[in-house]
Amino acid sequence: MFSVLEKIFHRLFARKQGLVGFPQIFEHFQELLQDHQKAMELMADMGEKSGGDYIFDKKYLYDSVRDLQTLLLRMVKGLNLIASDRYLGLYSALDRVFFPIESELQGRLRPSDAPYVIPLADAPVDSPELTGGKANTLAEIIHRLHLPVPNGFVITSRAYYRFLERNNLEDRIHTWIESWISGKEPLLKASSQIRYSILAGVIPQDLAKAIRQHAEDRGHYWAVRSSAYGEDGELSFAGLHRTELNVPSEQILETYKMVLASLYSPEAMNYRRRMGMMGEEATMAVLCQEMVRSQASGVLRTICLESPEQDCVAIYASFGLGRTTVEGTDAVDHYVAEKEPPYKIKIAEIAKKERQLKPARGGGEEAMLLSQDQQLQAAVSEETIRSLVKWGLALERYFKRPQEIEWAVDPNGECKLLQCRRLYSPETVGEADKDICESCSQYPVLVQDRGVVAHAGVGSGPVRVVQSNDDMAQFPDGAVLVTRYTAPWLAQIVPKASALIAERGSVAGHLATITREFRVPALIGVDKVTDVLKDGMEITLDTHHRVIYSGRLQELIRYELIQSTVFEDAPEFRHLRRILKRVAPLHLIDPQAHDFTPEGCQSVHDMIRLIHEKAVQELIDLPAFLKRFKGAKVWTLASDLPIGLKILDLGGGLDPLAEGNTVREDEIRSLPLKGLWAGVSQPGTWSTEPVAVDIRGLMSSLTRNWDAAGTALDGFNLAVISDIYMNLHLRLGYHFNLIDARMHDEAHHNHIYFRFVGGVTDITRRSRRAQVLADILSDYHFKVTIKGDLVVARILHLPKEEIYQRLQALGRLIGFTRQLDIQLRNDRDIAETVASFFHQHAELTGAASTEGAENERKKAQGSSVG
Amino acid sequence: MNGKKLRVLVLDDEPIVCKRLKPALEKQGYEVDAFTESAAAMNQIRQMDYDIIITDLKMKGVDGMQLLEEAKRRSPKTEVVVITGFATMETAKESFHKGVFDFVAKPFKLSEIQDVVSRAEAKIRGLEN
Repeated sequence: MFSVLEKIFHRLFARKQGLVGFPQIFEHFQELLQDHQKAMELMADMGEKSGGDYIFDKKYLYDSVRDLQTLLLRMVKGLNLIASDRYLGLYSALDRVFFPIESELQGRLRPSDAPYVIPLADAPVDSPELTGGKANTLAEIIHRLHLPVPNGFVITSRAYYRFLERNNLEDRIHTWIESWISGKEPLLKASSQIRYSILAGVIPQDLAKAIRQHAEDRGHYWAVRSSAYGEDGELSFAGLHRTELNVPSEQILETYKMVLASLYSPEAMNYRRRMGMMGEEATMAVLCQEMVRSQASGVLRTICLESPEQDCVAIYASFGLGRTTVEGTDAVDHYVAEKEPPYKIKIAEIAKKERQLKPARGGGEEAMLLSQDQQLQAAVSEETIRSLVKWGLALERYFKRPQEIEWAVDPNGECKLLQCRRLYSPETVGEADKDICESCSQYPVLVQDRGVVAHAGVGSGPVRVVQSNDDMAQFPDGAVLVTRYTAPWLAQIVPKASALIAERGSVAGHLATITREFRVPALIGVDKVTDVLKDGMEITLDTHHRVIYSGRLQELIRYELIQSTVFEDAPEFRHLRRILKRVAPLHLIDPQAHDFTPEGCQSVHDMIRLIHEKAVQELIDLPAFLKRFKGAKVWTLASDLPIGLKILDLGGGLDPLAEGNTVREDEIRSLPLKGLWAGVSQPGTWSTEPVAVDIRGLMSSLTRNWDAAGTALDGFNLAVISDIYMNLHLRLGYHFNLIDARMHDEAHHNHIYFRFVGGVTDITRRSRRAQVLADILSDYHFKVTIKGDLVVARILHLPKEEIYQRLQALGRLIGFTRQLDIQLRNDRDIAETVASFFHQHAELTGAASTEGAENERKKAQGSSVG
Repeated sequence: MNGKKLRVLVLDDEPIVCKRLKPALEKQGYEVDAFTESAAAMNQIRQMDYDIIITDLKMKGVDGMQLLEEAKRRSPKTEVVVITGFATMETAKESFHKGVFDFVAKPFKLSEIQDVVSRAEAKIRGLEN
């Protein structure tokens, strides 16, 4: 669709090209910047919606995608207008990026897109329609919780459809089901006819080949398990479908058909009918995992079914394969451990175990007697029990439901997670009758109605305030992470946390995204919460009501565990997360990389980034630009400072009485340029402090205007301004600064975008300089991203006085940074340098940065910064 | 919490709305019945008076406006909160005209609807001036 537009625009534009003047081009650039901003905000909004604090429906998804598409189309058009159609490839990138999003919106993946077989480790998260409930759960455990799961592969639901199609089974199955529902045929007959047809079916060549390839590549024996859509999700299907253990590779194809056929066992058909699922097609993916020849195995439940009122985990263990424990045929070891640290083991009963199941040669299992000595031994060590308890709690925290986990200890003594499913029990359901509101009101409330929800949920544990790397290393499993800033480096401990509370930060930021990925309830922007929450305090966070209670609210935690829906598993949320996966990830980070092209765009974010970067580059390339716009009047700023600044006024930026080609500083009317220049020209900013190199040589290299026949460093310093706007490109020697700023009366129109790159020294020093800039800018509440030595800082929606103040600070910072490379000899210098900046400029910055200066000074006095 | 619990009925044909609202309002101290089919909800309000009704406007079959009229006819004291994805001024005006307590546009935050329901409760309990 966009390719057609591309041609139309190409034709339209080709005709007009010669007529477009600089102000028009600049207007396109401005519009593009605004669209860029809107697209970034929309993307952030979608991320925020995935956190569970909002209730949205399908229409929201449709509207958001449509708006994003409109913005992107406008940006692509805009860039091509600015750049004389040199980015027409972006139109096909639009098609490529948005088509899959649209098919996601319309429901399922187009079956032709999906593979027949996927290695388990590569299986996508959030696609139970493709891999079935069991495999999708394991994929989440592998990707999110990083627990050890035996290798394997998934024969997808697409393979199932392929099998049906090849054998013309769809109609046959449909007919039998119809006649059973209408009462013409008994269940048993319909069931056995369908199963017979499946077992007699032929596995198509391409499918068989794909399965064999994966089976032969890996192990020799397999656990072949059903992974039906809906299984292990909201519906249990417990034990309705078939699982075969210890299947040799050569029997996998036959076993695959047996598992498929179990989809139409009388029990399964009856269950689906009772659950009102007969209207939908049943689908079956099949999970094949390398057989663990376990020395011991068992089951863990995160609720003691014998005494559910106690807050305990139950573990059952025996020697050999797991069927002994799962089917409860023999006596097994029994452990009960508390769910709160230090996870005390309350009960450890070692049973007399007479036999164990072992994989039989050639497939299947066989029972073997245990020796007298062995019979009374514990099947697993206490250490294993302890780590299992932690697994169980992490899994229950993540899936937000009581879990039942099958595990095994392999011949090397390593514990593996085999299966994990929601635990259904009548006892837990009974609890729902208690009055939850009444129960909660008995606990003291520490904080209420403050902060913004990054990820919804209830989490409880001891408080741990994290301020340094050392705190991070000691962060205990299940603690509540309390922090002053949502610093990105906290991401690594988020998976261990039961909840996150931050004083400052953004729900659109990186750390918020991480809390959503790991489903950790998170409340951000709770001012001064570290005054209230101290290390070791037991608290419970309930984001649904934005309350932090003192104590562990057993009743509330239990109430949450038995809710009918976990929002993260609701189709709308899975849908949004799948769409976000094609929207939000950023792959194009380095503008110098060879794939920083329209062809390299894999996501909407990539496109936004590329278009923005290229549009800015178009303005940076000033000689070429000025050649294109010969008529434009360019002023030179007369100043004592050695910066040859050229000014292009779009209107109202300069005193209308200015004459000739030169303007004085006092003739500047553009508010943002005034602010910046006030900072740049502040006494002491253009430092003359001695540094350990030849300052004069350095200064001359920093401020030299290279001649037109020069090198890659060729360029002017140019400000494009209006009364309330400034776009400034400043090349000081090898440092390159870009500042784009607007100062409107209404705060929501205002922004500063600051970009800094370049340097003469090695990459390590340049990265240190980037860190210094980032630390300083963060203290001014800029949102800062660093990639290598590129620093990008943004700030939005501030009143114009505050924008002015920050531009002044940026002016000083630009002066300050010129000599940084030389000073930053080791990492410790970072904190000292940041402190010295705030020390020099303390009066400028108000409360935030005075505090910043203090922090930095403290840091500088303390240890080195990693 | 003083007095007996207020009864709340939630109707939205998007199951996610009911599934999220019911527990959130229960925790706030209300007795909540939730419906995804408007006919079933209509049936229910003919058998029982609710203190607060939260309903979507545009649905298949009986729409929210009909339910609102029926509820108000049977029990004028019932406060009705309308939620809808089609947040236009016209529908808003029309529903206000018919005695709707307040209006919430999708997508909304849980806290928004909790606030509206709290205000409706205050009015019902005669705490509002």
